[in-house]
Amino acid sequence: MRLGLWLLISLSIDLLAILCAPAADDLEQLEQRAFTAAAARVAPSVVSIETVGGLETVNKMLVGQGATTGLIVSSDGYIISSAFNFIQKPTSILVGFADGTRAPAKIVATDRSRMLVLLKAAVEEKLVVAENAPEAELKVGQWSIALGRTFDSAQINVSVGVVSAIGRVWGKAVQTDAKISPSNYGGPLVDVRGRVVGVLVPMSPQSTAEVAGVEWYDSGIGFAVPMSQVLASFERLKSGQDLYPGILGVVLKQGDMFADLVECSGVRPNSPAYKSGFKRGDKIVAVNGREIASRAQLSREINRRYAGESLKVTVARGEQKLERELQLIDKLEPYERPFLGILPQRDRGKGEPAGVVVRYVYADSPAAKAGVQIGDRLVNVAGEAVTDRAALTSQLADVVIGEKLAVEVSRAGKSVKLELIPSREPAEVPAELPLAKAANTDKAENSPATGDVPLKIAEHATQFTVYAPATCETRRPHGVLLWLHGTERPQSENIVNVWKPLCDQYELILVVPLAGQGQWQPADAEAISKALESLQKSHPIDPARIVAHGLQSGAILAQRLAATQRELIRGVAIVQSQILAPFPENDPATPLSWLVAHSKAIDIATGLDALRKAKYTVTTQSQGEKARYFVDAERNEFLRWIDTLDRL
Amino acid sequence: MRSVVTLVVLLALVTPLTAAPLTSVIPQVQPKQVKIYGAGGYRGLEAYQSGSLISATGHVLTVWSYVLDTDFITVTLHDGRKFEGKLLAADPRLDIAVLKIEAQNLPHFELAKAPLVEAGTRVLAFSNLYGVATGDEPVSVQRGVISVRSRLHARRGVYETPFKGQAYILDAMTNNPGAAGGALTDYDGRLLGILGKELRNSQNNTWLNYAIPIPEAAKTIEDIVAGKYVNVPTEDVASKPKQPLSLELLGIQLVPDVLPRTPPYIDRIMPGSPAASTGLRPDDLVLFINGRLTAACATVRTELEYIDRIDPVSVTVLRNQELIDVQLRASADANP
Repeated sequence: MRLGLWLLISLSIDLLAILCAPAADDLEQLEQRAFTAAAARVAPSVVSIETVGGLETVNKMLVGQGATTGLIVSSDGYIISSAFNFIQKPTSILVGFADGTRAPAKIVATDRSRMLVLLKAAVEEKLVVAENAPEAELKVGQWSIALGRTFDSAQINVSVGVVSAIGRVWGKAVQTDAKISPSNYGGPLVDVRGRVVGVLVPMSPQSTAEVAGVEWYDSGIGFAVPMSQVLASFERLKSGQDLYPGILGVVLKQGDMFADLVECSGVRPNSPAYKSGFKRGDKIVAVNGREIASRAQLSREINRRYAGESLKVTVARGEQKLERELQLIDKLEPYERPFLGILPQRDRGKGEPAGVVVRYVYADSPAAKAGVQIGDRLVNVAGEAVTDRAALTSQLADVVIGEKLAVEVSRAGKSVKLELIPSREPAEVPAELPLAKAANTDKAENSPATGDVPLKIAEHATQFTVYAPATCETRRPHGVLLWLHGTERPQSENIVNVWKPLCDQYELILVVPLAGQGQWQPADAEAISKALESLQKSHPIDPARIVAHGLQSGAILAQRLAATQRELIRGVAIVQSQILAPFPENDPATPLSWLVAHSKAIDIATGLDALRKAKYTVTTQSQGEKARYFVDAERNEFLRWIDTLDRL
Repeated sequence: MRSVVTLVVLLALVTPLTAAPLTSVIPQVQPKQVKIYGAGGYRGLEAYQSGSLISATGHVLTVWSYVLDTDFITVTLHDGRKFEGKLLAADPRLDIAVLKIEAQNLPHFELAKAPLVEAGTRVLAFSNLYGVATGDEPVSVQRGVISVRSRLHARRGVYETPFKGQAYILDAMTNNPGAAGGALTDYDGRLLGILGKELRNSQNNTWLNYAIPIPEAAKTIEDIVAGKYVNVPTEDVASKPKQPLSLELLGIQLVPDVLPRTPPYIDRIMPGSPAASTGLRPDDLVLFINGRLTAACATVRTELEYIDRIDPVSVTVLRNQELIDVQLRASADANP
């Protein structure tokens, strides 16, 4: 009897197990209940944020006026949210709690690396803090539920997805395929048990701008900063300290981001790397003892750290290995290009030895003071042999202004050792400049097309007229003059007729695009970049003398091209136009020079001021009362300015 | 014996969870969907949308749009049969319309069985978005959850839709060209809502995906089907009063409105005015008028235009990081 009963019980337990092992569709329903329960569990810690006043647009993007979301992180009123929710710099912030009460709040500090903001709400009662999910338990593929409180302050809005990656954006974010947008930025990403995994933010591995990553809203690519990282910086934020991404101060040699070793092509003056004695040519091989084999790995080590953090960096210099402890900083001093005061010969004659021949010496320049003469061949700078003009340019990129520099020249077959003190670049263009003389005038094999060169960019409406001087046949480096028309679309022939003889003289290829649809559009900028790339393949282009020159709306386009095509454009010359602000920082690897022709009709004082603060070299031409295009003297100065873009 | 009882009880507990798997639900729902072709086809306006069969005799529920603004509406069934659609009626307030085709024994949704569900509910969206399906091809299916059930007109002038009820906001990208009129169902294939048009959420400049819950529209739909529906005027119900309130009547002067979003700080309180007696002060920041957030000077003026000058108004201001509520009423001499 007893046995019978046991049998029945055990049988029923077996049956129970079978019944409880849910079929796929039961699982769907159980999961749905779990989502709702998880959301409800965290809901009391999710607040809505409303703002009063502030800007209407940020970076040309219309900023929403609707509510955004925040997460309570301590019971005494601290709330973490996404920095995106405050880009309009509101006058006043109000936090709405789950129980319907509201309280004013203030921004305590901002984390510019993880794009978070810490708020303090004026509350008297204790707030509910949600439980956090242990980071070690987090697995790709697990459910993740994104919460916001934006549609209705009395309810939370829910989106369900999975964790799609861990350690994204240089280790700063968990990725999810739940729908992340301004509707839940600042809210929590929670696991299926209702524990907080992270705080939702727009982010981009490519950019640190405050609106970066917003273009991916609702796309299935969403990011959350893990709670462990939020809490790690909580105390610092609480003390009112803004946090910034850490900067090392090395300029890295371009190449395959994932395969090539990390070689410094330059070290920024006064940066942590500079103070540690790192030099151009050093290879970064380890950070805090962890091996670094690619730029991507270095980015992962540096980008997740804040300014002020210390780390040990190991570099390889030849056979030697050096380990230095250094402290990351938040901001580099603007880069200022050092100046020796010479113009180099651009090509080399047959059988000529290595080095760079001096074509011109600026009056009163460091080179003139040290006794450098026209025809001298620079063979060694700071103990390093000079091979050619391109190598010398990068050798000089991180030379420090005001510090002695040993230079060896070869003069009439004899070695002469000199000492130069590099200075700032002059803004003035020499009033007289002898034309560059070719060292090599022989026609090269496979010489490119000259005269009127046909150029069409597929799938773009932009029309191009291109003129290449006959001297291109020697494959000597030629500059590029990109002539961008203003509000009125001109006849290309008229432009070409004026500039042809000048381009012959100064060895410039003239490129005159016409806007595809009357006015310049973003598509034109794309077509122009492609045209320049295509010319670089077909013609002997001097990378140091590619100039974007424009009038009115063409000047705006010229600046946009200069800002976005940094590796391409070395000079921007604008007439009758405002200066775009903020303009990207100057960079040793891709320096940019400015020529600004202005009249009293347009106020450019603030723009000029910003460029000079950013240590750009700006040549100005003041045109008096009325806005107009270049007169002859100004045009000639403009041509000489182009001729000095490869100055050293 | 006892165990057997337990077993029965357990069975009873487990059974309600059982539902058909999605692989069988979806093919059952797809035939209840139709493809609607009508006006449009120029300037980026698609000439098609989606619809759901709600009777065996050819009643099609869809969204009211320009596509239906023609005498030639074509309705294509799941099996590829084409019918001429006749517009029975449209309710512009709900943004819905009902068409009739001459056909019999059609698979259809049961309107009366449509439940009202809460946030977090898993849903399927059936529609011919982007016109991907043609002829006898089944319509497309998307899945997601209901993000929240909320009114679309949470703020004045925020959403450009006439629908004033509580809509289902979805976390799937459902509201795309051609999807309007599609069906939102639960995982059992029960009709929950009708997919709305493409809509920009001007609160945060994102695209909004939403559906109109069937219980909100069931009465109207039944009336249309029964031929009892009477057209209503389309004016906004929440119209402004003839004699609205104004800042001048309250005796409040705000700072000069010079920015796109000038924060509404009080500049002056007129002596002897209603505001003066409530203790409002210069430099107070006006945050709420009758509980509605006033993010800028212009919003304060707009909000007051919706309040009759004979009604009291509650104003919340921020002073030294403290919220202060006051009740105000326009002065008596403002009511001649």
